[in-house]
Amino acid sequence: MTTNLPPLQHTVSPVDSTPSHPISPAEERVARRGERLSRRRLYTRRFLRNRGAVAGLVILTLLVVFALAGPLFTSYSYTDVDFTSLTAAPSSQHWFGTNGVGNDTFAQTAHGLQRSLIIGVVVSLLTTLLAAFVGAVAAYLGGTAEKAILGVVHFLLVVPSFLLLGLISQKAGGDWKVLILVLVAIGWTYGARVVYSLCTSLREREYVQAARFMGVGSLRIVLRHLVPNIGSLLIVSFTLGVVTTVQMETALSFIGFGVKQPDVSLGSLLGDGASTITSAPWLFYFPATMLTLLTVSMALIGDGLRDALDPMSHSAGRA
Amino acid sequence: MSAALVLRYLLRKSLGWLLMIVVATNLTYFIANFFLDPRANYLQLRPPRTPEQISRSLAQYNLSRDTPLLDRWWHWISGIVLHWNWGYSPVGESVNSQISFRIGVSAQLVMGSLILSTLIGISLAVYTAARQYRFADRFSQGVSIVTLNTPVVVASLAVVLLAIAFNQSVGSTVLFVAGAQSPTVSGFWPLLLDRVRHLILPTVSLTVISYAGTHLLQRSLLLDNINSDYVRLARAKGLTRQHAIRRHALRTSLIPVAITVAFAIPALFTGAVITETIFAWQGMGQYFIQTIGKNDIHGAVAVAAFGALMTAIGAILADIAVVALDPRVRVS
Repeated sequence: MTTNLPPLQHTVSPVDSTPSHPISPAEERVARRGERLSRRRLYTRRFLRNRGAVAGLVILTLLVVFALAGPLFTSYSYTDVDFTSLTAAPSSQHWFGTNGVGNDTFAQTAHGLQRSLIIGVVVSLLTTLLAAFVGAVAAYLGGTAEKAILGVVHFLLVVPSFLLLGLISQKAGGDWKVLILVLVAIGWTYGARVVYSLCTSLREREYVQAARFMGVGSLRIVLRHLVPNIGSLLIVSFTLGVVTTVQMETALSFIGFGVKQPDVSLGSLLGDGASTITSAPWLFYFPATMLTLLTVSMALIGDGLRDALDPMSHSAGRA
Repeated sequence: MSAALVLRYLLRKSLGWLLMIVVATNLTYFIANFFLDPRANYLQLRPPRTPEQISRSLAQYNLSRDTPLLDRWWHWISGIVLHWNWGYSPVGESVNSQISFRIGVSAQLVMGSLILSTLIGISLAVYTAARQYRFADRFSQGVSIVTLNTPVVVASLAVVLLAIAFNQSVGSTVLFVAGAQSPTVSGFWPLLLDRVRHLILPTVSLTVISYAGTHLLQRSLLLDNINSDYVRLARAKGLTRQHAIRRHALRTSLIPVAITVAFAIPALFTGAVITETIFAWQGMGQYFIQTIGKNDIHGAVAVAAFGALMTAIGAILADIAVVALDPRVRVS
């Protein structure tokens, strides 16, 4: 895998600043063309060459803009009720129509997208960080700590997480902040297992051994030497984690165990729309489109990042 | 490697998993007792019941909060160990009868789509890997990325919409969008036809979201193997390219796919929660929602045990698949 990459900030071979003879701009350009790119520019170039990834990035940007700016374009908030139009089809008054209670679907979709985005990003970020830390600590410490942590991880993999999610978030009464905590508490195990396997080979590397014999503390070695070396994996798993989380949140909210009234997420909107799918299909179309665009664009970005960051990958072409 | 060794290896693995299942199930019992309160079911009843009446009703199903938790647990666990009785819901339905009926319903749904999606995924991968970067490959890869990341809810509801449109254009209900069977049909062939007509839509929607994972994984593994020495040797011996890919490259690259598919079995059962809800199937997934919604502690724990069992079966199947497919594996 990508375990032997230097940290992302690292740049290679700065140009010699005092040339022995004056060079023309044209010569300089030629010289620069031969120069090795900084890592960040290399990754950017490889990412931008992937058409799917760029499309994903554009779609995601548009979705974020819609989630943030959408509510400004309508006079209704997502809780407002318009009694004069119940279950109304899309019109100039209500761009995405209204539901059976008279809520404006445009405002609700924008808010729901916002909610799903926040939950997805925060949960995936926390999950990735927790998994990286726990997995690396287990691999580095070894011995009893390793056995204990692995035992917990394997056990949590067996416990039906979906059931626990349902149980706890049902009790929490639909608060999205509690939902985030629960999703993190359940979601980190698989990532920790992957990070652990990668770090078991890293811990035998010379620089880790050197740091250890220099007397660097365990925590510092984990944070400065182990975790940065699986950085590219973590970035990719963060992106793909957003997809998984959004899907999970949608499923939970759809069956009524996630975000609940008066708050809305894309999942709970779909749950409402499902029963009227033939009589009021717009309640399904708009949230479903947003949701699919969100998960697909995130997955495209994740694939693009993986290709850009992985030196073994051929799909990004020559760089 | 002898068959006895394999058996012993599998037996040891199974024992480890059994222990895990037992611990997980008991833990879920306590968690469920903490989060679910069956008394809530009686609070809406008219005329209102006194706390004593509620407690007495619940006591006959071993759910009364007046009995200490450890006593209830002992009663519950000894019922399972001695009589294989998984307890009762707060209104007195036997968990055993619910589960035994629902496992069959779920299995129809899950097994059908599991087999279909694996077959479609692998054959699509073999087809596209031999045509890397041509139109068919690019196109099917694009489709797979979209379907893989389509949320279950959206996929299932889209299938419903399409089916309704299809039914309307044909003019009669060819495909049913709700339920596992019609109550009025009798006779073997009509019954079979009726089952199939109910089964098609949920199977399609589960297959659509799950084939793509197999396709993409198998494709990239095949591409890694297609240019390796042993495939070139097979070509040099005179095998056709198709034959070399299928007989040599595919066999080695099937192993990770088999593992993934085996581990996907429990995920499929929970993934079917949404599908069963949308298509109104009385399966395990729908039972899971129902138990939590109705504070059915014993039912929820039984679902958890079932999920853990599925995980274990998936893991053991994965082990068997590796042994069966990889000639280099020696069981230690």
